[in-house]
Amino acid sequence: MGSMMRKKTQVSFVIRDEEEKRHKNGVSSLQLDPVQGRLYSAGRDGIIRVWQTSGGSQDRYIQSMEHHTDWVNDIVLCCGGKNLISASSDTTVKVWNAPKGFCMSTLRTHKDYVRTLAYAKDKEQVASAGLDRAIFLWDVNTLTALTASNNTVTTSSLVGNKESIYSLAMNPPGTILVSGSTEKVLRVWDPRNCSRLMKLKGHADNVKALVVSRDGTQCVSGSSDGTIKLWSLSQQRCVSTIRVHSEAVWALLATETFSHIISGGRDRLVIITELRNPDNFMIVCEETAPILKLCFTADQQGVWVSTSDSDIRCWKLPPVNTLNSEMYNQNNYNTNNVYQTQPLHHIPGGRAIKNYTVLNDKRHIITKDTANNVVLYDVLKASKIEDLGEIDYDEEVKKHFKMVYVPNWFNVDLKTGMLTIHLGQDETDCFSAWVSAKEAGLTTENDQKVNFGALLLQALLEYWNHPNRVNEGGQKVFGNNFFSVPLHTPLIFSEVGGRTLYRLQVGDAGGETEGNILLETVPSWVVDVAVEMAAPKLNKLPFYLLPHSSCQSKQDRQKKDRLVANDFIQCRKVAEHVVEKIIGGGDVNGSSTTKTEDSNTDAPEEKVELLCCDQVLDPNMDLRTVRHFIWKSNVEFTLHYRIIKQ
Amino acid sequence: MSICQDLGLNFQQRMGATASQLEKDIGSEQFPPNEHYFGLVNFGNTCYSNSVLQALYFCRPFREKVLEYKAKNKRTKETLLTCLADLFYSIATQKKKVGSIAPKKFIARLRKEKEEFDNYMQQDAHEFLNFLINHINEIILAERNQSTLKLQKTAGSGESVTCNGTVPQSSEPTWVHEIFQGTLTSETRCLNCETVSSKDEHFFDLQVDVDQNTSITHCLKCFSDTETLCNDNKFKCDNCSSYQEAQKRMRVKKLPLILALHLKRFKYMEQYNRHIKVSHRVVFPLELRLFNTSDDAVNPDRLYDLVAVVVHCGSGPNRGHYISIVKSHGFWLLFDDDMVDKIDASAIEDFYGLTSDIQKSSETGYILFYQSREASC
Repeated sequence: MGSMMRKKTQVSFVIRDEEEKRHKNGVSSLQLDPVQGRLYSAGRDGIIRVWQTSGGSQDRYIQSMEHHTDWVNDIVLCCGGKNLISASSDTTVKVWNAPKGFCMSTLRTHKDYVRTLAYAKDKEQVASAGLDRAIFLWDVNTLTALTASNNTVTTSSLVGNKESIYSLAMNPPGTILVSGSTEKVLRVWDPRNCSRLMKLKGHADNVKALVVSRDGTQCVSGSSDGTIKLWSLSQQRCVSTIRVHSEAVWALLATETFSHIISGGRDRLVIITELRNPDNFMIVCEETAPILKLCFTADQQGVWVSTSDSDIRCWKLPPVNTLNSEMYNQNNYNTNNVYQTQPLHHIPGGRAIKNYTVLNDKRHIITKDTANNVVLYDVLKASKIEDLGEIDYDEEVKKHFKMVYVPNWFNVDLKTGMLTIHLGQDETDCFSAWVSAKEAGLTTENDQKVNFGALLLQALLEYWNHPNRVNEGGQKVFGNNFFSVPLHTPLIFSEVGGRTLYRLQVGDAGGETEGNILLETVPSWVVDVAVEMAAPKLNKLPFYLLPHSSCQSKQDRQKKDRLVANDFIQCRKVAEHVVEKIIGGGDVNGSSTTKTEDSNTDAPEEKVELLCCDQVLDPNMDLRTVRHFIWKSNVEFTLHYRIIKQ
Repeated sequence: MSICQDLGLNFQQRMGATASQLEKDIGSEQFPPNEHYFGLVNFGNTCYSNSVLQALYFCRPFREKVLEYKAKNKRTKETLLTCLADLFYSIATQKKKVGSIAPKKFIARLRKEKEEFDNYMQQDAHEFLNFLINHINEIILAERNQSTLKLQKTAGSGESVTCNGTVPQSSEPTWVHEIFQGTLTSETRCLNCETVSSKDEHFFDLQVDVDQNTSITHCLKCFSDTETLCNDNKFKCDNCSSYQEAQKRMRVKKLPLILALHLKRFKYMEQYNRHIKVSHRVVFPLELRLFNTSDDAVNPDRLYDLVAVVVHCGSGPNRGHYISIVKSHGFWLLFDDDMVDKIDASAIEDFYGLTSDIQKSSETGYILFYQSREASC
């Protein structure tokens, strides 16, 4: 019953620079194109970046491959460097043109995060697996031949996993596939006929890294239990258990001949071990964060290392025949004995946002990143306002405190290390924030009210030439009258708490193809406001208005006016109401002299003051702020008025 | 000897017996001095309350604190706690050793306090226990706050009021806390970054699932089994700033003086659209040690003795009957509303549950009260 129901669609966007040359978050995977000398890195910021490995160490950045909307967990470079396959927490697998860096197609077969890929080079076959427990086998040549019209692909699936899969490996001829999962066992398949071959028990925790020897007779596994195990697949048993790490093992890399294994993990050490003689091992280097992926340099003399930090480093490997030399052979974890203390190359990463505070105006956000840099953002304009540098974050948040209350209208997400804003998520009403345009600094005119959510949606879809666009004087109305958002802003439509439906950049919405996909994707609650310019509902706030005890007469006491007003109107307006409707044209003494020109021009707040909980209210304060900060309750909101004696 | 036959026999005996039969059964020599065994009159499906009250009365630390409260609080306004104190006092000060008593005032007050109990329907004994313990605790806290407020007013009349009339809630435990409150620690490990975060929470009772042909120790082990947070229920990991799979485990960090265990015997079955009783046989030993304690547990070696059991008889939560069996001065008694019988310790086995799933109706242990041996010294 639930599966047939279409989930609610939310709108999200990322506040970022047009080009983000550095990884903003951890780097999950690496692939090297030895021919072109290019390194591909899969970022948890959702971006795959391409780097030049040769030449000067200055600017290695070549380009970004952007289309995923969540962590990229794994990548595989195939077809001799022509294509790249990527797996992401956005539940998709994507096929890329590697040299040009564009996304060719998206596979939506998985139902949960796709964590891992395996590649059989000789057969150009890729396997994908993840938290939905399914393993799918893909024929790369079929995938790269997919077009917009011919977009169906058949896949074989390997079933039998009972828990989430965190690792996969295939041998180059594609005769053996091994999966590792939270089930703590290795499951082995023959991908040629999708048959199950065996189940190998021995690990005490999740299996997060796997490699299979070329002939498919041996396998090495790395586990969260801290051990590395060498398995004989022909004998179906564990041959040896290697205990060189003090914490979980997350990355493995075997030498060509399967004589040595290079490993890394939570203890931040890269260690090389002789498989047949595990006493011969050496700490290659110590990284700054847990290691996620290892990848050989073109000459196999070095290893590229990525971690849960955004830096990528290349380290020189020791010659394998030195492992048993006196100098480095040690059976302890003394990290003073690391082989290399300086990397050969370093690709510096950027900073991930780790903390945020939405300010009371529900428009500005202050963030702090991994380097303790504080930045001020304007959500409404999808822009960064100011880099405040390494200052005290809490102090800065305090400094920006304003006694103003605006309802929540968006949600914030830091999963990519950049600010992602969600509109229409869960219970948050995207249209709850009505404000005075003047207060928001959008205009100097009085009395114009704007809705934050509506303005933003109008700006985000400004370039979309929807057939129903409102006409005004023969001219279609695009965007809002106040501001635009940066054209490069990624705009994402997705199911609430679920899969991504479509991602594009704000400036690309004008394209015909994009426009057509938007027609199918954009939910009606967005079209109504952003295209058809329907005004969202106003929030009404009921309150009681009574004369203050200090000036009420007996008959006044009977009167308890129940009023309803827009939640953002200022106390001045209520005072005006009191002057006009309650004390009428009469002056404060109650005599019935007619209004003079003079009293008409007087500001109402000079005649009447408003009080809440015996506190005199600033005429500029709006009602919802009074209720939130002074009345502090959602029931029986009561204001008093008092006539000012002149 | 089958369960049913045995109980049938008990009933027959009771029908013909007077209250003094119990005295005879115990024997005047053996009858503990200053102890009273009084049944509680049923006011129309109030056995859920009667059975819990009897069990609590025979949790000695609790009874003593309630009587102490009665002695200290002479003229406070009527609350559920004053009604309970009056009832316990009334039982404890009876001239006769055995008999029955009508908890009229308590039931009347209960019906006023909580709408759900203001009717003549059968209620869930565990819901009642939960309400009673929490409610009593709140009364104590409120009274404590009031007295500190009074103290402040008399002491600091000259000073300006700084705290706007709100009294900071005292964090000092009440005697209800001291008796029933334990601490659970939940450890969650993110499966992505493998960082473990832990959080403590307090409990007044542990609610355990029941499996066929098992023991309480097994149920507690299952209670502390690792649960994987996955699919739509992923864990928001602070370190990863995202939703990730995680493994969660609940273990006992601070063991309470009296450990109340609620066996979750009423399961909601979608196909029937109602709660069905799970009569599975779950052995509860007379002595219990907890093995699902955390590494940093304060008192992991506590040895518990079974002191009282609330038994549900029947087939569903809103039908059937509640009785209780309690241990007093070394022998066991069965309280069935206004009737009290001495039973053999071996008869407790009859309340473990049924090994066959055919019979829907059963007489099974529902709430178990284990008292720390330190407390009984």
